[in-house]
Amino acid sequence: MGRRNTTRGRRPQRRKSVTHVHRESGRSGAFRCAGCGLQVPVDAPGTAHRNHCPHCLTSLHVDGRVPGDRRAGCRGRMAALSLATRPDGEWLLVHRCVRCGELSANRVAGDDNARALVRLAVRPLADGSVPRRALLRL
Amino acid sequence: MSTTEPEPAPDVSAFTCVRCGLTVSALDPDGGPRDHCPSCLSSRHVVDRTDEGASRCGGRMAPISVAVPRGGAWLLIHRCTLCDEMSGSAVATDDNHLVLMRIAVRPLADPPFPLDLFGEV
Repeated sequence: MGRRNTTRGRRPQRRKSVTHVHRESGRSGAFRCAGCGLQVPVDAPGTAHRNHCPHCLTSLHVDGRVPGDRRAGCRGRMAALSLATRPDGEWLLVHRCVRCGELSANRVAGDDNARALVRLAVRPLADGSVPRRALLRL
Repeated sequence: MSTTEPEPAPDVSAFTCVRCGLTVSALDPDGGPRDHCPSCLSSRHVVDRTDEGASRCGGRMAPISVAVPRGGAWLLIHRCTLCDEMSGSAVATDDNHLVLMRIAVRPLADPPFPLDLFGEV
């Protein structure tokens, strides 16, 4: 999904040592979704760091400060909270841990459920009162 | 002995926005503590969420997204431009609505797949 390959003014990404292959994914290279129970293969089109279920977009709180460090002892379910956009136009999925409230961001994968993504994207505008008030005050 | 307690003095402290330089009061119009600039919505990384305490980072936190948790009130998501730590804060009534709306509609303005397909589903 890298469409506008603009690197101008962008901070380089941090190094990530994702340990899917040895830890929770086991030998089969798949993990079970904490939200819907889907068996999800680790390989995903468009990203090398799949951390959420492509069907319900739920993730698991296993990483601490750096993605892939597996430092968090929480193991809570992370529900998809909102969408953010990078300066180059890529969508980022923002998760919040339902147990401890920690936030994290991950790039969307090519096979993520488009309907669930769009539902998240229109959520700020879906409830009419707040955006209408906001537009009236402009 | 009088029964009326004296009113506590209002908090008049202020801070300067790290991005636009605006001097803003530390309290929002509703009396709650303010943690981001109402004009450009930028914040500063002073609270460490992972280790629960003060953060030594001090970087600028840019607003990246608007979330709607249950209840309907908007929540502004910040991300530190230095260390990538994220935080969420409630939207104040005097926040810049133009900037808020721009962040809210930003994903829809540049979707990774054609949105007109959803008319057929």
